[in-house]
Amino acid sequence: MASVLLIEDDKETADEIRAELGDRGYVVDWAANGIEGLDKARSVDAEVIIVDRLLPGMDGLTIIEALRQEGMRTPVLVLSALGAVDDRVRGLRAGGDDYLTKPFATVELIARIEALLRRPAESRDTLLRVGPLELDLMERTAKRGDRIIDLLPREFRLLEYMMRRKDQVLTRTMLLEEVWKYKFVPQTNLVDVHMGRLRHKVDEPNEPPMIHNVRGVGFILRAPA
Amino acid sequence: MRRPDFARTPTFYSVLAVACALALCTLVLFGLVYKQTTTYVISKYDALLAEELQIFASNTPDQLLQEINDRLLKDPQHIKIAGLFGADGSRIAGNLDLLPPGLAPDVPTNAVVIRLDGGERKAQNVRVAAHALPNGRNLVIGRQIDEITEIAKVVMRALALGLLPAFILTIFIAMFLSKRIFVRVTELNRKIQHVVTSDLHERLPTSGRGDTFDQIAVSVNQMLGDIESLVREIAAVGDNIAHDLRTPLTRVRVRLERGRAHATTLEELRTVVDQALGGLDQSLAIITALLRIAEIEHNRRLDGFSQVPLGPLVREIEDLYEPIAEDKGVALRVNSADETTVHGDRDLLFEAVANLVDNAIKFTPAGGHVDLTLLRREGGTVVQVRDTGPGISEIERESVTKRFYRSDKSRRTEGLGLGLSLVAAIVKLHGFQFAITAGPGCTVEIIFPQVH
Repeated sequence: MASVLLIEDDKETADEIRAELGDRGYVVDWAANGIEGLDKARSVDAEVIIVDRLLPGMDGLTIIEALRQEGMRTPVLVLSALGAVDDRVRGLRAGGDDYLTKPFATVELIARIEALLRRPAESRDTLLRVGPLELDLMERTAKRGDRIIDLLPREFRLLEYMMRRKDQVLTRTMLLEEVWKYKFVPQTNLVDVHMGRLRHKVDEPNEPPMIHNVRGVGFILRAPA
Repeated sequence: MRRPDFARTPTFYSVLAVACALALCTLVLFGLVYKQTTTYVISKYDALLAEELQIFASNTPDQLLQEINDRLLKDPQHIKIAGLFGADGSRIAGNLDLLPPGLAPDVPTNAVVIRLDGGERKAQNVRVAAHALPNGRNLVIGRQIDEITEIAKVVMRALALGLLPAFILTIFIAMFLSKRIFVRVTELNRKIQHVVTSDLHERLPTSGRGDTFDQIAVSVNQMLGDIESLVREIAAVGDNIAHDLRTPLTRVRVRLERGRAHATTLEELRTVVDQALGGLDQSLAIITALLRIAEIEHNRRLDGFSQVPLGPLVREIEDLYEPIAEDKGVALRVNSADETTVHGDRDLLFEAVANLVDNAIKFTPAGGHVDLTLLRREGGTVVQVRDTGPGISEIERESVTKRFYRSDKSRRTEGLGLGLSLVAAIVKLHGFQFAITAGPGCTVEIIFPQVH
C-alpha cells in the first residue's frame, strides 16, 4: 500500500489525517517538526510527502527546497493556513506539487493525494483512451465506440483533463483551479453545469455511465464495468 | 538639571545662533573699517613724511638745523618729530634723545621713541622715516600716531554701543518667541495626548491666523477625521463579518442540535451532518474571499502587468458562463466587437469580469437577461454588465462595493456578497474606474480610461 510521510506540528490535525489515511489503507509516517521531517524524508521511502507550511524548527518550504536540491522527486503536497495566492505561488515555486489551504475537507485531501500518486505521465500520445472513449488531441475529435461526440472547445478541455486522470476523484476546487484557472469561489454552480453538459454528451441514456458524481466530493471518470 | 521652558525649543537656539552670527559679522565689519581707516591714515602720513624728508634733505647742514628747530617751534601740540644724529648716533638737534634703532633709510616705519620736549620724558608711538645725509649724519622726521589709537577707541565704543544692546535684545526676543511657541506646542501636544488616550472625536484648536501651527492643526485634524472614519468602517466591517459568518454558523449549530435530538436513523443523522458541513463550507468560503480581497488590496506589485486584449477575455467569460445562464433560463447576450487592449494583470481582470457576470446571473431570475458588452465611450473603454435582477438602490450603491455588504432583497439567495468588493479591489489596484447604476435591474461598469 502507498506510504505517506506527514510533516505536521499540530498533533490533533496530524491524528485526524493519519486516521483518515489509515482507514483508506495508507501507511502513514509522522514527523512533528521540520528537522525530524527532513530526516524522515531522506530515510523513509515515502511515495507522497505532506508538509505543513509553518513548522517549528524549519520552514516547510525550506524542507521542500532542500529535498529538491538533493534530487528527490517525491511529490509534495503543501498544507497551509496561509491562503493567499502569493503564498500558494511561493509554495509551488519552492518545489511543492500541490497546495491545500487549511481548513480543508478530508475528501479534498484524499483526492489530491490520489492525484499526486497517479500523476499523469507527460505522455506524448496524441490519442487518449478510457474504455470505449477516445480523444484525438491532434484532430480535436472525440468518439465513444463508433459514436462521434461533438464537443465544444471548453468541453474538450475538460474531458482531456478527466481522461488524463481517469479513476481519480476530481474535486470541484481542483477542476476550478486547473481547468478554468479560477482563483475565487463562484457563487453559481459553475463546475456542475459544465460537467452536466459534458456528461450529457459522453453518456447517452442507453449507455452505461462513465462520468460519475461522487457525492459531496466531486466527479470521477471510469471505464464502464 | 531641567532647562527653563524657553530654552527647550529649537526656536530659542535658532534665534541665538542668528544673533551670534550677526554679532560675528558686525565684529568683522568693524575690524575691516578700522583696518581700512588706519591704512588710509598711515599712507597719508607716509606721503607727507617722504615729501618733508625730501625738502629737509635738500637744505645745507646749517639751514637744516634751522629748519628742524623751526619745525619743532611751529608745533605747540607736540605732534611732530625731528632729529639730526651724527654718524656715531650722537644727537645733534631735534626732539629725540636717541636714533630709533632698526630704521631702514627712506622707508617710514612705526617706532616707539622718547621725546625730549613736551615736559616729562615719555614714550610715544610714532611714524618715522630716516634719511642718511651726504655728510654721514642721519636725519629723522616723524609724527606721533596717537590718532590711530583714538580711531581704535572710537570704533570700540561704537561697537559696544551698537552691538551689546542689540545682542541682549535678541536674547530677549528669542526667549519671547520661544516661550510663545512652547506654549502652543505644549497645548497641541496636550490635545493630541488627549485624543490618543481618550477621545477620537476631539480636534486640535486653530488660532485662525493661518500660520504654520494652524496648518499642522488642520492636517492633523484631517488625519484624525480619516482615522475616525476608518475606525468606524473597521467596526462596521467587523459587524458585517460577524453577521455573515454568524448566519451560516448559527444554521449549522441549529441543525446539529436538532439532528442530535431528533434523528432516529443513521441516514437522518448523515443528512444533518451533510447540511452542517455545507454551512461550514460557506463560512470558509467567506474567509477565503475576505483573504483574497485583503491580498488584492495590499498587493501593489505591478510586475504581473501586461497588455491585455479585452475582446478575447470577454469571449472567454462568455464561453465559461453561457451554459450556466442557459441552465438558469437567463439569456446571456455578449457584444465583444471592440478590440481594445488595456494594461493590467490578465488573471485579475478575468476574475473581476467573471465575478460581475457570476453575480449578475445569480441575481437575475429566470426569463431575464444579462448583457455583457464591450463598448467605447468618450474617455475610455467600458466593460458593462447589465442585468434584469432586483436592481440596487441609491443608498445601497456605495455600500455594495464595501466588504460583505449584501442588499437585503437578495439575502434570500445564498451568496457571499463579496463579489463586488473583490471587483472593486481589483479595479482600484489597476487605477481603473468602477460604476454602479441603478435602473431597471443593475448596471455595473469597469471603465478603462484612455491613455494619452
